[in-house]
Amino acid sequence: MIARPLPPAGPPCGRVRRRTFLADIGFGITGLALGAMLHRDGVVRAAALDTGAAAPDPGPHFPPRAKNVIWIFLSGGVSHLETWDPKPALNRYAGKTYAETPFENPFENPLFRERSRAVVGADRTHAQIFPLQVGFRKRGECGVEISDWWPELASCADDIAFVRSMYTTDNDHAAEFQFHSGRHKLDPREPTIGSWIHYGLGSLNENLPQFVFLGKYKDTRVRENFDALYLGPEHDGIELSLDPGAPLPFGSRPDGMLAEEQRAQFEFIRDLNALSGVEYPDDEQLRARIKAYELAYRMQASVPEALDLGAESAETERLYGIDREETAIYGRRLLAARRLAERGVRFTLVYLSDYGEWDSHTQLRDLHARSCARVDRPIAGLLKDLKRRGMDQETVVVCCTEFGRTPGLEMRDTLANPTGRDHHPHAFTVWLAGAGVKKGVVHGKTDELGFHVVEHPHYVTDIHATLLHLLGLDPKRLDIPGRKRLEIDHGRPIAEILA
Amino acid sequence: MDRSIPLLARRSVGGPASLVPAIVVLGLAWAGSTATGGEAVDYEAKIKPLLRDRCFACHGALKQQAGLRLDTVALMLEGGDSGPAVEPGESEFSPLIERVSSAEPSLRMPPEGEPLDDEQIALLRSWIDGGAAAPEGEEPEPDPRDHWAFRPPTRPPVPDAGLGWARDPIDAFLAAEHERLGLDRSPEAPPHVLLRRVYLDLIGLPPSREDLLAFLDDPSDAHYERIVDRLLADPRHGERWARHWMDVWRYSDWYGRRSVPDVLNSYAMIWRWRDWIVRSLNADAGYDHIVRMMLAADELAPDDPEQLVATGYLVRNFYRWNYNSWMKDSVEHTGKAFLGLTINCAHCHDHKYDPISHEDYFAFRAFFEPIEIRHDRVPGEPDPGPYPTYDYGKSYGPITSGMVRIFDKTLDAETFLYTRGESRNVVPGRPPIPPGPPRFLAGDEFAIEPVELPPESAYPGLKAFIRLEETEACESALAEARATLDASRERFESMGPEASDVDRERATIRLRVDEMKAAAALAALESLRARIAADDARFGRGGDDPDAAARLASAAEREAAAARARLELASAELADFEARHQAEPDADAVAKAEQRLSAARSALDAAEQATSEDSADYTPLSPSYPDRSTGRRSALAGWITRRGNPLTARVAVNHLWGWHFGEPLVATPHDLGRNGARPTHPELLDWLAVELMEPSSPGVPPWSMKHLHRRIVLSAAYRMASTSSESASANRSIDPENRLLWRFRPSRMEAEVVRDSLLAVGGVLDEAIGGPEIDQSEGLTTHRRSLYFAHHGEASMPFLELFDAPDPGECYRRTTSVVPQQSLALSNNPLAIEMARSITSSLSAELGATPDDGAFMTAAFERVLCRPPSREELAAGARFLARMTNILRGASIPEPDTRAREDFVHALLNHNDFVTIR
Repeated sequence: MIARPLPPAGPPCGRVRRRTFLADIGFGITGLALGAMLHRDGVVRAAALDTGAAAPDPGPHFPPRAKNVIWIFLSGGVSHLETWDPKPALNRYAGKTYAETPFENPFENPLFRERSRAVVGADRTHAQIFPLQVGFRKRGECGVEISDWWPELASCADDIAFVRSMYTTDNDHAAEFQFHSGRHKLDPREPTIGSWIHYGLGSLNENLPQFVFLGKYKDTRVRENFDALYLGPEHDGIELSLDPGAPLPFGSRPDGMLAEEQRAQFEFIRDLNALSGVEYPDDEQLRARIKAYELAYRMQASVPEALDLGAESAETERLYGIDREETAIYGRRLLAARRLAERGVRFTLVYLSDYGEWDSHTQLRDLHARSCARVDRPIAGLLKDLKRRGMDQETVVVCCTEFGRTPGLEMRDTLANPTGRDHHPHAFTVWLAGAGVKKGVVHGKTDELGFHVVEHPHYVTDIHATLLHLLGLDPKRLDIPGRKRLEIDHGRPIAEILA
Repeated sequence: MDRSIPLLARRSVGGPASLVPAIVVLGLAWAGSTATGGEAVDYEAKIKPLLRDRCFACHGALKQQAGLRLDTVALMLEGGDSGPAVEPGESEFSPLIERVSSAEPSLRMPPEGEPLDDEQIALLRSWIDGGAAAPEGEEPEPDPRDHWAFRPPTRPPVPDAGLGWARDPIDAFLAAEHERLGLDRSPEAPPHVLLRRVYLDLIGLPPSREDLLAFLDDPSDAHYERIVDRLLADPRHGERWARHWMDVWRYSDWYGRRSVPDVLNSYAMIWRWRDWIVRSLNADAGYDHIVRMMLAADELAPDDPEQLVATGYLVRNFYRWNYNSWMKDSVEHTGKAFLGLTINCAHCHDHKYDPISHEDYFAFRAFFEPIEIRHDRVPGEPDPGPYPTYDYGKSYGPITSGMVRIFDKTLDAETFLYTRGESRNVVPGRPPIPPGPPRFLAGDEFAIEPVELPPESAYPGLKAFIRLEETEACESALAEARATLDASRERFESMGPEASDVDRERATIRLRVDEMKAAAALAALESLRARIAADDARFGRGGDDPDAAARLASAAEREAAAARARLELASAELADFEARHQAEPDADAVAKAEQRLSAARSALDAAEQATSEDSADYTPLSPSYPDRSTGRRSALAGWITRRGNPLTARVAVNHLWGWHFGEPLVATPHDLGRNGARPTHPELLDWLAVELMEPSSPGVPPWSMKHLHRRIVLSAAYRMASTSSESASANRSIDPENRLLWRFRPSRMEAEVVRDSLLAVGGVLDEAIGGPEIDQSEGLTTHRRSLYFAHHGEASMPFLELFDAPDPGECYRRTTSVVPQQSLALSNNPLAIEMARSITSSLSAELGATPDDGAFMTAAFERVLCRPPSREELAAGARFLARMTNILRGASIPEPDTRAREDFVHALLNHNDFVTIR
């Protein structure tokens, strides 16, 4: 491990001297060019001082295996059984109760209580085994079994590391936020993984936001997935839109305003704020706002360029399924994510479904088939595209969901036609691919019915820890003084899938 | 090594079942004890905090599960039902270690959350093996009921501190801490800073340039005081502070599926509650009154529609799809908003920190159990119709007139305890739980008395305005019908001999239609009068025999129905005539007309037959509701607002303080319980709480909020500068976060204030007060205050959202962020540019002729930032104007000087000082 340089020596007690303030924000009467004024180190140093003398200097703690992350989230709870962890026993015992199988009743396994903590509502109980709703077969040279709803992704099987032994503890959809923060709904909230990575690593490209959210949602709770909380708003995910007219809210120069005019105006705003900084050297908000204007000015130009999918070839568009109606939206999102990764964005959270889209309490066969068809080609396209560009050497892709679905048929009284599976926090699958990740491996194991994890159980923060490890970060060294994080918040890297 | 031997030989206090898991974990435990070696473990630093975090909730002062307490070493040794928890020197024999390290989840402690990790267990083990030494004089946890916030506040003596500085007792409390810790206070803020601060604080809008210049001219205390009084009397004060309280009271316009539209959450017309808040604050209605009205105006002011809308507080929690959710939100947020108690934590089990039992939760819920929503008519507006009961799968658009309010519908509603927070888990056989406050706070005098409601409340049809409006509507319909008939008759009689037979026949039928219309209108009016008379008789307001009056009303109503049927027949005949006499024959139209004619004939037959029926049924003028209310909510409201309630006033003043000073005295304003934050200034909090309830100034009514506002903004603390001098570096090491207020806290304006200020400095703010919520999409084009735009859980106005608009679901404290999009929202916002233009042109007009750049820039600073520019700023501004004029001229932009000035003003609107309250 390489020791990190010590943080730059600051004045005592977090106090910033006037001279330092001016140096940090690059203000000088010589009138340097805007971009150069706030050079990266200056920004970083200012940021470090904002949180007090002890804040770490951004950058990896040890040599990283990956530079950035594309995090694909499928909301609502993907059935592990009909996707990455098929269980033929479900077909053998279809319609039978758990007691009628030769296996231990999974409800009596102590894990059942231990790993399910309902926020609202009771435990999810289900008596009758529901057969697999789709066929499956071995794929690739590694021979991993994948369901037939993933014809495209199946061809990438040899590049993926499947973790079939994930569990979480909330049996309702707050598990989605839990997946991003590591915290159960009933516990105090924590910053999300994207924010930690942004906080820990800083910027690779100062002209773009470093933690991006791509997706659409109506339920604003989705924002919990990219909330930095006490790490500060500068580590929040920034929402970008693929609508070329407005990639960012208020993201385009007003009609009639000249580019040079706005540039001069931004410089003037900066000068004024810098003068104000002399008056109020303690004002952290002011320092943050100066940075925000810098970033805003550059983002205004860089974001549209990064998101301009028109620059991509028709062949690439086809690769992502942008030429087909059912895959176009998600294909665009993933192609945009690749372009952002290429330009140095550290963490892109791609919300590749509607909120709760995969939540197939009924009609699982139809709904899952439809949702798979929407994302299969785009995700496979992304993996292939990264590989052919060599980006799989620096970008790691994670595909995740909040929980799996029950091996049993959901039999709620309100369901007229039971044809689905309920939420299942006890077992689900997450997969990773790309930089630093083993190719074509399956890690962890669920029982014969896909109910409980029986080998290598991993709580959601183990995925966080794995990513931090790949990026060269030691989670414990990211801690903020006075903010107690628990062991389980840190998780443990899944060593078995690291290349 | 067979490590099971010592365990089997142990002096066991547990049953045999507990042995097995203990064996399993022994390996771990051994590893642990070697890891920590023989060093003495610091009980206070390492052991007690661990036990406090993980064990005290069930084994401490709050609860003593199995008779065991772990909050002192002595109590551990004393042990519980099954003997001592700790055997000093012998961790292997200590049940504490056995239970925390058990591999058997059903036995392992703590039962919830993560098990203790190896290191923690090793620490415990090492401490026990080292003799389990107790610190001297270790005191058990105090009785939870003695928690500071659970004891009624008494007025503490004002400290003798702040000599030469303090203007108010408030200051003395702060000064005592400053002096204790050796903190140097900041000097008084410059007049322009103070003026802008107090304007934005009290009315949410910046002072005008004239206000500024006047104050700079005379920055005396007396002038400041006059300004404060003026601002407190300004109607905009209510708007500003309503927005604060709306965060806490969770104001939300209706939502659910607005695009359908389908009202699922909250309710349409709830804006009347928002306007009530504004009015109440402007009128300085007491905080106690406000709380009582929001919880129980239907019981306390049942015939006052002005107050009834206050129950919007409860309407807001409405969730059409789930009554339990309505109840749950009402319990949770009544607890948090008025009591600073997290009663919601006892939804599934006894509270972990406060003495609130699972049963207390349901007793609190029982206050709300009988409620339902109703629509009431409002003078001058159409009848919104009755509140529809939910029919599965249907959607319900918003009502657009009248008002929405709460009433007790189910007077015998019962509340049943359920477990695990799941309403399906009602405990069978357990009797219903009667309403009541948490028992540890209830006091002795809690009683619920049913409330008799005035007849107008039970049957709004009695209200004079409804009768009047209905009568007027009938009368004007009659007058109109008669006028039509007169005209029709005149036309008919003046028909000349040249008229054809067809024309003559048509005119005859038309005349009949108009005659029937006049007859129907008259019958409707007579029917209405008879129904009103019958209502009077029924409610004993006239001498008539109720039954006879009802029969008359019933007959008149049937008469009116028959008259309507005659009108319809005449109209059908006219339609039939027209269909037969069209220029181009249309068989379809004729067939339809015949159908209508035949239907009208049979309807008339039926209606005429009905006139001879014997009945006393008539249509009431409104729906009817119970004539009593349970009194549960007024009892709750009375209990919350009585002097002896230890929490209410503290919660209120804590919020008030936070909104004036940027941070509340208790950092968790929704939780003053044992898990909440400690107050930074407990005596000050109590002094303010008592001052709210029992004002020390003569003539001030109890619970006056304006009185506290005034005291606070006139205090020396409020007038401090937010800057700190170089010499204050000692302060920064003593209190870097300024928790003890040695300087004023600068803050970013709330989202609404940013938008409103933009409009205000631009001179275009529309100061109209109240009314229905405005669509969010009009945020940049409609110049009303932000308060009046739709605010709900489904979406928010992008501009406000960017500046951290409150979450309508829960916002007991605002948060502030600084993100690049905020910068874009001010720099690329057409509204900001429009404001820059209007400011530039109005300043030019104000300054006369052609002001030079210096005069213009100075005035612009004063107008936008409420301060004069510094020399450096003027120099930078001059360079900017010169540069910009060049750029613009180079691009052949017309009037480059004016445009450069607009750009200058636009830059000031983007200045950090514009969005900052210093």
